[in-house]
Amino acid sequence: MSELFDAGMQPERTLLAWRRTCLAIGVGGAAAARYGGTVVGVPAVVAGLLGLALAGAAYLFAARRYRRAHRHLVDRGVLAHDGLPLALLAGALVALAIAGFVTLPGLAQG
Amino acid sequence: MTPAEKPAPASSPDRRFPRGVYAHGTEPDARFSLANERTFLAWIRTSLALMAGGLALEAFSVPIDETLRIVAAGALLALGLAAAVQAWLGWMRSERAMREERPLAPPAIGPVLVVGLIAVMIALAVGLATR
Repeated sequence: MSELFDAGMQPERTLLAWRRTCLAIGVGGAAAARYGGTVVGVPAVVAGLLGLALAGAAYLFAARRYRRAHRHLVDRGVLAHDGLPLALLAGALVALAIAGFVTLPGLAQG
Repeated sequence: MTPAEKPAPASSPDRRFPRGVYAHGTEPDARFSLANERTFLAWIRTSLALMAGGLALEAFSVPIDETLRIVAAGALLALGLAAAVQAWLGWMRSERAMREERPLAPPAIGPVLVVGLIAVMIALAVGLATR
């Protein structure tokens, strides 16, 4: 793992981009789990915990994706990535938007 | 290792998802694909921020006119949804363009996002000034 594929550290920067995305999802999930209960109720807490789980899973997945990319790039100079995890992540945000539209009318307190 | 994870040699068919991308052209410079992936992730974070902002407006009952507030919150949610769609469609479009050695298209929702955000900010400013 010591050999660097690219002096511009593209794989490493991509790993860090995944990590800050995970951080954003995790913080959002934690906030929803902690404060959503009083505002919306149980569904918000469940959604928050789902967000936290998604952040954790994405973090582990990104580490694996980085290791694989690094290995393939060093060995063969080819990236083995596919688009499925990206589609799943974008789909999760579309689901969040739909859930947001459903809960929005009843969200305001008093 | 599943077939999807295997780097396809030039001679064997490339079965990776989505077919709309990987069925076309040839493998681009890996660094460009990685940059495209980071752009996708930047859109994902933009989408999260927009939606969190919209939900927070209502959840914390920001003290402005209620109609104005829910319209602004709905607009932010809609922009967040558009950013998530842009993340995926933009990634696909760019990856395919790079595989076919065509120029990259600018983000399709760019103007909508700019105009929408300015409108929301003006609405919130008016709401705070007139409450």
